[in-house]
Amino acid sequence: MTPADPALADLDEAALVEACLAGRPGAFDLIVERHRRSVYQLCYRFVANHEDASDLSQDVFLRAFRGLKSFRGHASLSTWLYRIGVNVCLNRVSVKTPPSESIEEQQFVDVCAQSPADRLLQEERGARVRAAIAQLPPKQRATLILRMYHEMSHQEIADVLGGSVGAVKANFFHAMGNLKKLLGGFEP
Amino acid sequence: MNHLKPEEIVDIAEGTRGEASAPHLSTCDICRAQLREMRAMLSTVSNVDVPEPSPLFWGQLSTRVHGAVAAERPRRSWADLWTWPRALVPAAVGIAVIVAAVILGSRAPIQPGPAAPAAAFNAGNNADALDAPDDPSLNFVADLTANLDWDAASEAGLTGGGSAEHAVTHLKDAELRELARLIKEEVARSGA
Ligand SMILES: [Zn+2]
Repeated sequence: MTPADPALADLDEAALVEACLAGRPGAFDLIVERHRRSVYQLCYRFVANHEDASDLSQDVFLRAFRGLKSFRGHASLSTWLYRIGVNVCLNRVSVKTPPSESIEEQQFVDVCAQSPADRLLQEERGARVRAAIAQLPPKQRATLILRMYHEMSHQEIADVLGGSVGAVKANFFHAMGNLKKLLGGFEP
Repeated sequence: MNHLKPEEIVDIAEGTRGEASAPHLSTCDICRAQLREMRAMLSTVSNVDVPEPSPLFWGQLSTRVHGAVAAERPRRSWADLWTWPRALVPAAVGIAVIVAAVILGSRAPIQPGPAAPAAAFNAGNNADALDAPDDPSLNFVADLTANLDWDAASEAGLTGGGSAEHAVTHLKDAELRELARLIKEEVARSGA
């Protein structure tokens, strides 16, 4: 899915969105190419498995395409996509309990600079943390994911999820407390 | 004793607020323990990466999204005429007939009677005009009428042969003149 028009690659976000709205071939493909990794990672953190994260990612981009006219450039395109992503994921997780990761998925973690024992330990640790995060109540989960892995400020998270900055911080606090309980005696 | 609020513990743990701004910490074991736990959890949670999918996955995702988006794009063409609201069908047929009348008016009259317009356009008198490859207006009319299913048109309210003409001739004179003017403008604008 390389863009048909090489000049598209030089466009900034707003111009790229305009190009999409004008129906320029390849414009939306380029948006997908630029943001697919972060959108997938957001979805993966919600559901902790590749298959659902893949479906959710597709859904996020499809909804983004449908709602492109409503993107006004007040936020960055990535923040806007996160907002859609969080909504899509929250809708999904409210009707589906996340399955845990398969061994195959855990083995994809890139930790090539470690000894096999350390690598195994880190893989296990990562998988346990991801699985525990995916069991948090949806809003706490969203808050923790956006804060810890997508570098969003508490204010930005409040904009995405609704509510006050204080409520976001309280959610974050409780998310961490619940995560500690979910991890049980696990020592990081 | 007022313990620190969750927001305050978060701010201090994240470093956006100094411990010195919360003197309560120095006297409360509970709040100090909460702060310690928060810091430990921040460390535990950070640097936990998402497993990297197969390198082929990204292209597959793009292809899937591309396909889903392509399926969303509206595919309107004259062949989709029957997906239009039924009330618009007689109007579309009428406009096609008027376009033909405006364009062909000085060359040959539209065949009246039961013959469908498509058949009328293919009559010998107009064959040369319709064969002209560089006349987009004629192509427009020919495309439109060629895609018409006259049984369906009849169901849509165009009863009997010649009803398109009927629909047009039942416009008031002023409406007809205005419609003809608009169509002439459109034809001129499209460079016909
Ligand atoms: Zn206290």
